[in-house]
Amino acid sequence: MNNVLVEKKPLLQVTELKQHFALKKEVIFQQRQVVKAVDGITFDLYAGETLSIVGESGCGKSTTGRSILRLDEPTDGDVLFKGESLPKMSKKELRNVRGDIQVIFQDPYASLNPRRTIRQMLEEAMAIQKVLPPNEREGRMLELMQHVGLRPEYLERYPHEFSGGQRQRIGIARALAVNPEIIICDEAVSALDVSIQAQILNLLKKLQKDFDLTFLFISHDLSVVRHISDRVMVMYLGKIVEIADKSALFDNPLHPYTKALLSAIPVTDQTKRGERIILKGDVPSPLNPPTGCRFHTRCPFATDLCRQEEPALLGLEKNHSVACHYAKELSS
Amino acid sequence: MNSEVVLEVKNLKTHFISNKGTAKAVDGVDFVLKKGETLGIVGESGCGKSMTSLSILRLIPSPPGKIVDGQVLLNGKDLVTMSDEELRKIRGNRISMIFQEPMTSLNPVIPVGEQIAEALRLHQGLSKKQAWDKSVEMIGLVGIPSPEKRAKQEPFQLSGGMRQRIMIAMALACTPEVLIADEPTTALDVTIQAQILEIMKDLQRKIGMGIIFITHDLGVVAEMCDQVGVMYAGQIVEHRSAQDLFKNPLHPYTQGLIGSLPKLYEDQDELQTIEGTVPSPYDYPEGCRFAERCPFSTDICVQKQPILVQYDEDTKVRCWKYTDEWQNSLTRGVVIP
Repeated sequence: MNNVLVEKKPLLQVTELKQHFALKKEVIFQQRQVVKAVDGITFDLYAGETLSIVGESGCGKSTTGRSILRLDEPTDGDVLFKGESLPKMSKKELRNVRGDIQVIFQDPYASLNPRRTIRQMLEEAMAIQKVLPPNEREGRMLELMQHVGLRPEYLERYPHEFSGGQRQRIGIARALAVNPEIIICDEAVSALDVSIQAQILNLLKKLQKDFDLTFLFISHDLSVVRHISDRVMVMYLGKIVEIADKSALFDNPLHPYTKALLSAIPVTDQTKRGERIILKGDVPSPLNPPTGCRFHTRCPFATDLCRQEEPALLGLEKNHSVACHYAKELSS
Repeated sequence: MNSEVVLEVKNLKTHFISNKGTAKAVDGVDFVLKKGETLGIVGESGCGKSMTSLSILRLIPSPPGKIVDGQVLLNGKDLVTMSDEELRKIRGNRISMIFQEPMTSLNPVIPVGEQIAEALRLHQGLSKKQAWDKSVEMIGLVGIPSPEKRAKQEPFQLSGGMRQRIMIAMALACTPEVLIADEPTTALDVTIQAQILEIMKDLQRKIGMGIIFITHDLGVVAEMCDQVGVMYAGQIVEHRSAQDLFKNPLHPYTQGLIGSLPKLYEDQDELQTIEGTVPSPYDYPEGCRFAERCPFSTDICVQKQPILVQYDEDTKVRCWKYTDEWQNSLTRGVVIP
């Protein structure tokens, strides 16, 4: 399935995307400090696939999702949706595109208006995007509720009347209401208990099949990512360190960071896990990222070259790119 | 392994009484913790795992919370009936606790080394100088580089992982017999979590304390724990060794829980789910609390609450399936044509 995808035209092309945030000056005449949350990343998202972005807190995975949609204005770089540049669009054009690219956030309660019923929310979304004439919306709403596994009478209820899992279903229904092509799921199942998380993951997979959706799935949980993705992209301090088909990434990780990340995950079956690589120290601050390879401060294999020169993201195998000077040596 | 029992919890019941009714947050929990052993308590949100841990040291906000029944025996002495003054000598000294979010447990305006030293002066009667030196030593022991410098810093100057190390250093400074760790690594990234778990295991070997490890993460349980108690709706539904639990879960809830976990080393098409939702703690059903969601549920499950059945030497399970009554009810149910 993955091989077929590669032949397809990308639905979303991200080129050298940068998102820098300038901090407030603490002292007058101090040089303005800049957090480079996302610092030049390039990737394609193909129609019908699920591409996951994984990484630890502060790696820029959520910021990437937000800058694609211009929820934060990107500092530099380009994002093409079906060949059209999102950063160059006017506000009005952008609003139309936002009907095609929807987001589901981690905390559904924070993203649902507490004073509106589910009906009002779905109706508003459809009205803004003009998806259907008003008289046909009722039928569509009932359909949506069925798709996400909620009872039709729940339409009249308010968000506080639902459990966390149900709220996430409402978030999904609202995203689907405008017939999107891409859904960006930003830690969409992270706040849920495992048994509920499983329900939502199954639902997302089913909806993807039924509606030909493309997912950009942002998560810190690698087990979830393995379950849902076709391809996986690993980020560290604003850079892509590795991007590959799911099976290649999990069975044969090439970047030392990916290896350490995979080995650090606690698993229930202790016999399956390889030797644990414990990384030294913390993730450095994105305010002042290390020179050269950003991972060199924690990498067990770092050399002078790593400290001085930044490695490029290079295709080492088919559909498997990695940003490490020694990827070839380390893989053999 | 040393089989000396340090902490024994017997029929613990913590209820919250409000004008909405009585919420039975903890409703009859039993377990024993042996020296040098790690007991995991797992379950999903609202199952009562955190309330159990808070009840042990009587940290339940009261009112509305109240320990209505049961005993918590530390080396045979009951903490539930103890005076506040006596209990204060135990908290942070013989039993310590670490929580999920270190920033909310640390005083933001006092250097971290001083916060550790305070406990040492209070409980161990060390002088100011001795306490400070010991504090610095502890900070080094939990793997923080340049401990002398870090001890003088305030919490905001440290990263999340370092703050949690400070909490561990503080909890272990008085070499407690029991450490209660309530989701200690949940807020941390996996690479940092791996560091912290490693340090906890290492210090357990050195100090020999028993650990009660409360978490929702089954992977962490498998890494850390010897024994596991699975909680559902205020009760322990299965209690057995971690190894057996993951190999062959007995209770239908445990089976569902493990089945719904996405696997890191396996591809699955669809995840197993548990239908329905947890019953409200204000209104538990008459029979088994899991019956409504259980694929094996029969009449007896709905009618009568199951007891904790001794399945084998160190396994207990709260399920009718493992009783003689179940066999009888099944044979009676067969209609002979």
